[in-house]
Amino acid sequence: MGRTADITAGLGGATPALRRYARALCAGAGQAIADDLVQSALQSVGARIRARELRPADLAEARIEAYATLVALAEKKLANAPGPASRHPPIVHGLAGLRFDERAVLLLVSLEGFGYDAASRIVGATREVALARLMRARAALGAEGSRPVAPLEGARRAASHLRVVK
Amino acid sequence: MTPSTLVEEADLHALVDGELDPERRRKVEDHLLQHPEDAALVEGWRRQNAALRAAFEPVALEPPPLSLREAAARPPAPPAGQGPVETGAIHWGRPGAAPHPARKLDDIRAARRRQALASTLLTLVAGAAVAVAALLFLASRPPAQDPTTRAIPATSYAARAGLTYVTYALDARPVEIDAARRGELLAWLQERVGFSRAPDLTGAGLRLLGGRVAPGVAAPAAFLVYERDDGARVGLYFERADAVAAPSGQRGQGVSVIEWRAGGFAFAFVGALPPDVMQAAAEAAAAAVVAAPSEAR
Repeated sequence: MGRTADITAGLGGATPALRRYARALCAGAGQAIADDLVQSALQSVGARIRARELRPADLAEARIEAYATLVALAEKKLANAPGPASRHPPIVHGLAGLRFDERAVLLLVSLEGFGYDAASRIVGATREVALARLMRARAALGAEGSRPVAPLEGARRAASHLRVVK
Repeated sequence: MTPSTLVEEADLHALVDGELDPERRRKVEDHLLQHPEDAALVEGWRRQNAALRAAFEPVALEPPPLSLREAAARPPAPPAGQGPVETGAIHWGRPGAAPHPARKLDDIRAARRRQALASTLLTLVAGAAVAVAALLFLASRPPAQDPTTRAIPATSYAARAGLTYVTYALDARPVEIDAARRGELLAWLQERVGFSRAPDLTGAGLRLLGGRVAPGVAAPAAFLVYERDDGARVGLYFERADAVAAPSGQRGQGVSVIEWRAGGFAFAFVGALPPDVMQAAAEAAAAAVVAAPSEAR
């Protein structure tokens, strides 16, 4: 019992990373949609763990379940979601242009740092299929990611942040 | 090429994603030296990764909204048969089931106020900490500390090297010319900076990524970027200077800067690796830049 409570409490620590992933997965569709997805995924996994439908061995397993639930929910929810606005950096437009299943794997590996085995478990595909999606995503994203525009915009945001503080 | 050294596209991806064992990794890296077109692919994917992190990492640094705190520990809000509550606010669970619902509501509201206040204070404190750290970093080498040396410009070489490191080393485009075009890089630095040498620091576990010309304290400076196997980066900065002095180290902001002078130039080795690793690599670099003077000028 205590272990289950520890794991559900520990999942709270994964919330910032899940939000980052959800926001990227939504590719400009909106912050509210992304946060709703994270909330639904965390609640669903927490409930299934308490109901003993899921018995993750440790927090890492529970985290993989949370990402898997998020991906499954996002696929349905993003089917008719709006695309990115012009104010979004090119990398977000590039992501929005990818197929959902390719975007999901690319972000798991590139943004979240999952290994190929974990990423393929999360998207429910074999390692080979997941790797093929990753390769297609990188090829399709192409130069969008190489342009320094996105990091520069990030730096500009950070700089304006600093000015406010001072 | 024998089958054992055959490198496929999947290997290139696996290199970027850290999925290769050390032996295979070395083979793929050797392959990249021979095949610049594949090296360009790998570099492009690394830039994609960096661009993704730059675009979305700020989300992970924000405090999560109240509706997401402890979401995993709460029962899902919508009871069966009713539509989901998509208000974006806290999902209340089943308030009717609580023995003193009104009091509970007040408690929760008070907790929300406390959390909001705490997050505001945290933001203010974090902002102040960033400002103080930036001031400390910029003022990390006041001339008054060392009255025996001649007055150093308001911006010291070490501080400028630190700024150059923060600006470029962690950027998606850390270098202007990569190590594959080493000759072009060295010729450029010779022309603009007046000195060009890219010390081989593989003995210290550091691989040259490339370099660029950067603004110095009083003249154009050179900034070379090295990367360790685990992705940690350090920089070697040099600029024309007058005095000759022994290496001296200083630390600030988790980034150490080891500065020395040789041959009329100021050098600074900058990075966030452990001090002994930094010292060893700086000594290797210092030895390499004074060796073989015929190449230097």
